[in-house]
Amino acid sequence: MRVSEIQRFCMHDGPGVRTTVFLKGCPLHCAWCHNPETQKPGPEILFWQNKCVGCGACAAVCPVGAHRLTEDGHFFDRSVCKGCGKCAEVCCAGALSPSMREMSVREVYAEIERDRAFYGTSGGVTLSGGEPLAQGDEALSLLRLCREGGIGTAIETSGFFDGDLLPALIPLTDCFLWDFKDGNDERHRQYTGASNGPVIRNLLRADELGAVTALRCIMVRGVNMEEDHYRAIADLWGRLCGCLYVELLPYHAYGGSKMTALGGRDNGRTDWIPSEDDMARAADRLRALGTNLK
Amino acid sequence: MTFYSQNGLTRPVRLTEATRRFAYDSLNHKYGLDTRKTPAVTLDDAEGYDSLTPLERYDLAVSRIARDAPIRICEGEKLSGAATLGNAIGHVVPATYHGETVCRSVSHLTIDFETVLKKGIRGIRQETERSLEKYAGGDREPFVRSCLSCLDSFALWHARYLEALEGMPEYAANLENLRRVPMDPPESFYEAVQSIWFVFAFTRLCGNWPGIGRLDFLLGDYLKADLEAGRLTLDEAREILAHFFIKGCEWVSGGNYGSGDAQHYQNIVLCGVDRDGREVTNEVTMLTLDVLEELGISDFPTTVRLSRNTDEKLLRRVAEVMRFGGGILAVYNEDLIIDALTKYGYELGEARSFANDGCWEVQVPGATDFSYLPFDSLQILQKETLCGYAGDVDYPDYESLYARFVSDLKSNVDSMCRAHEREFLGYDDEAGDWRWTPHMPCTVVSLFERACVERGLSYLEGGPVYRIRSPHIGGLADTASSLYAMKKIVYDEKRLTLPEFLTVLKNNWEGEELLRQTMLRRYTYYGNDNDEADEIAARVLNDFADICDSRNDICGFRFPAGVSTFGRQLEWSGRRLAAPHGRKAGEVLAANCSPTPGTDLRGATAVIRSYCKADLTRMVTGAALDIRLLPGDVKGEEGLDALCALMRGFVALGGFFMQPDIADAAVLREAQEHPEDYGTLSVRVSGWNARFVTLNREWQDMIIAQNEK
Repeated sequence: MRVSEIQRFCMHDGPGVRTTVFLKGCPLHCAWCHNPETQKPGPEILFWQNKCVGCGACAAVCPVGAHRLTEDGHFFDRSVCKGCGKCAEVCCAGALSPSMREMSVREVYAEIERDRAFYGTSGGVTLSGGEPLAQGDEALSLLRLCREGGIGTAIETSGFFDGDLLPALIPLTDCFLWDFKDGNDERHRQYTGASNGPVIRNLLRADELGAVTALRCIMVRGVNMEEDHYRAIADLWGRLCGCLYVELLPYHAYGGSKMTALGGRDNGRTDWIPSEDDMARAADRLRALGTNLK
Repeated sequence: MTFYSQNGLTRPVRLTEATRRFAYDSLNHKYGLDTRKTPAVTLDDAEGYDSLTPLERYDLAVSRIARDAPIRICEGEKLSGAATLGNAIGHVVPATYHGETVCRSVSHLTIDFETVLKKGIRGIRQETERSLEKYAGGDREPFVRSCLSCLDSFALWHARYLEALEGMPEYAANLENLRRVPMDPPESFYEAVQSIWFVFAFTRLCGNWPGIGRLDFLLGDYLKADLEAGRLTLDEAREILAHFFIKGCEWVSGGNYGSGDAQHYQNIVLCGVDRDGREVTNEVTMLTLDVLEELGISDFPTTVRLSRNTDEKLLRRVAEVMRFGGGILAVYNEDLIIDALTKYGYELGEARSFANDGCWEVQVPGATDFSYLPFDSLQILQKETLCGYAGDVDYPDYESLYARFVSDLKSNVDSMCRAHEREFLGYDDEAGDWRWTPHMPCTVVSLFERACVERGLSYLEGGPVYRIRSPHIGGLADTASSLYAMKKIVYDEKRLTLPEFLTVLKNNWEGEELLRQTMLRRYTYYGNDNDEADEIAARVLNDFADICDSRNDICGFRFPAGVSTFGRQLEWSGRRLAAPHGRKAGEVLAANCSPTPGTDLRGATAVIRSYCKADLTRMVTGAALDIRLLPGDVKGEEGLDALCALMRGFVALGGFFMQPDIADAAVLREAQEHPEDYGTLSVRVSGWNARFVTLNREWQDMIIAQNEK
């Protein structure tokens, strides 16, 4: 499995105490992505320029000469970087870090099992990403192990994945935290690079097959905090049998600095951050439309 | 009048305005400052003082304290009796002879309140008189006579309170209670609380710092009977208990006192099984939690005994109270502790009755002569095993290095224990055996320790049922992480030789910042659930326990192992050299069983896992884990889930003692700058709580560093 990060003692990725496994690779490219290091499927190196002490250890080990240290600073040529991670291994300043590691399903499971004593009856593992179901077969094997081991399972998904996974997936998943980013398909295409059609189709099919879901809706000010989106959420809520609640998540700009570390420009947009009032208004509207908000 | 809470949570209000005001004034030093006004009684006019034995001087001091200590009745107090002499706060008998203190005092014990309630002072007196008949004419007679003298003094002090209350109709209830207790056994909850308080206050008045022990166990049946008979309501009972807690703050006197102004080893223990294995938790437990929740009161620190069978509702209630911050509540894992005590040889019923010494060190209350012997394992590693990094010390492999460390550990523990034995025991050539040697008088606490009166021996001269000196290893995380760092870089990866590495350390990383950064970041140290690193800590503890357990049991003197630093990581910091895990000389390092600040990167569950990998049943008197949580970690219902999960996991994995604190470093820094706004903000230090603003700067900085994420 291509694992970006395994985080323990997570309190906000489903019920109880959870270990969240962030898998790498996502078919969407949301402009507001909070975890841009999980978008590309392959390995990348995060480079935090401000932490570099200029020791040159990275340049010495890089097999393709991607790192160059000159009087003007440390230059990292991503066009030749193969993401092998040798530089990150020798970086003593924490300026270079790998965005993923290759792990077997068993290895990931062993990490999840470490916090078994803390999961109780409600907690467990949450597969997140990236889009965890982009690695569908591996995700299924991991969920199966968790099921056999008595560890609770949740999936945080963009909903954009191969719908044929669903019949196998649903009996292995206690809860889907299902993103619904925008009910307006034009905007959805513009900001995520894909249509919301597959997301909705998969969700309805999952519901038919008995999935327990929660709708997670990111709120981006000036983008999707619009009446047509709220109505689409309420419409979906009305059609789903197994949906527990709708949760509104405010956009934050922390992903921006990670974009810089990936060689992009800081795309953090502070003007997109909704105020508390904005959030309260959205919540009021959705309640008025009959949804159950968390 | 608000009591600090983190996260902007509002503490509930259940107590009357007057009681809340009493609490607020106490926490703002009203009674502590009053106590400091009269430091001690004087013996200057005592005739023939110079010819008195130490025991006679002690008895005289106690009688003068009883006669001359100011009587204090706080406005509206529901319980009477007060420890009103300032030098007692400094851990001495508050009596002077021409400016000299007469005698030091005793702490690290919880006295036998069970017997006080069951027999009353009158019953203890009868037992003392029987002992006098038994020991008259023998070498134990002076001690027994001292017991009678101190009981006379106690009665005198008691009579002074009766007299003072006599003409004060608003304290009629106090007077009525004191007419029965503590001389006779109580017949109601209210009397029982007064009985415990009065004996506690007298013991403290004479300079001692006892703990309280199992409050709900002691009081539960009295409350139950009163409730059933309709004599008392829960609200009334809560007010009475609140006054018990507020009176406990009467030594809180503000100012910067290093470790805070509320560290008098007066812990309370709640919940858990009784001697027969029945769960104790009762209405008193719940009322105590109510009081802590409302007042966030810094004394008494309280520890809840948890087990696999702890009721989910109780656990959640504990989490709710914890969440307000202040670190007032800590938890024991009684499953493991009872197992540890029975494995060590305690009878099961005794093991089940465990409480602590007023801090968190476990003991059988009212039956244990206890002290602990602290030492710094990191300095042993640095200065002995690695010869202070001087010369050309080298070990061919990690195992040789480790074996040498264990042998150095052993010789240190041995000589420390031997020195302690020599202080208390002497070899009697005639009898061909060891015996207890005369020690500092301590009759007042001896009266309230099981077996002392009966045996005619004082608390420090072999009287109590159990005589415990517990070597406490300090610097555990840093020793383990140092060993791990050397193992990796020198022996596994062979990046440099040991002498090369030690030279770098000797120069305090001078010119080797890159190597230091490498050591900080390349390896995952104790506290991150990294088996290889954690197993080193577990191994050190196991070998340490072997060393302690192998000691001879002379005169019933035993040396069970424990882990602590309390705040000693501060004083040790100046003597420690640079450490292999990337630390410079002089840095303040890890507390108790907690990881070195800044090394735990995987969250609270990983810290608990690391800690629980050691067989903690072998740390018989305790191994404390401090867990620092951010306010955001415990927000909302999910936050309560998180706290409950941490406690459940701690029990399931075999932890010993855990003190969670919820504090934000930014808030603490703010309190440092504006102490006037944070008078009631308390933090967990180790076995005690401190009101943050009464810690001195060094201690404050240490706590802030521990809370930094």
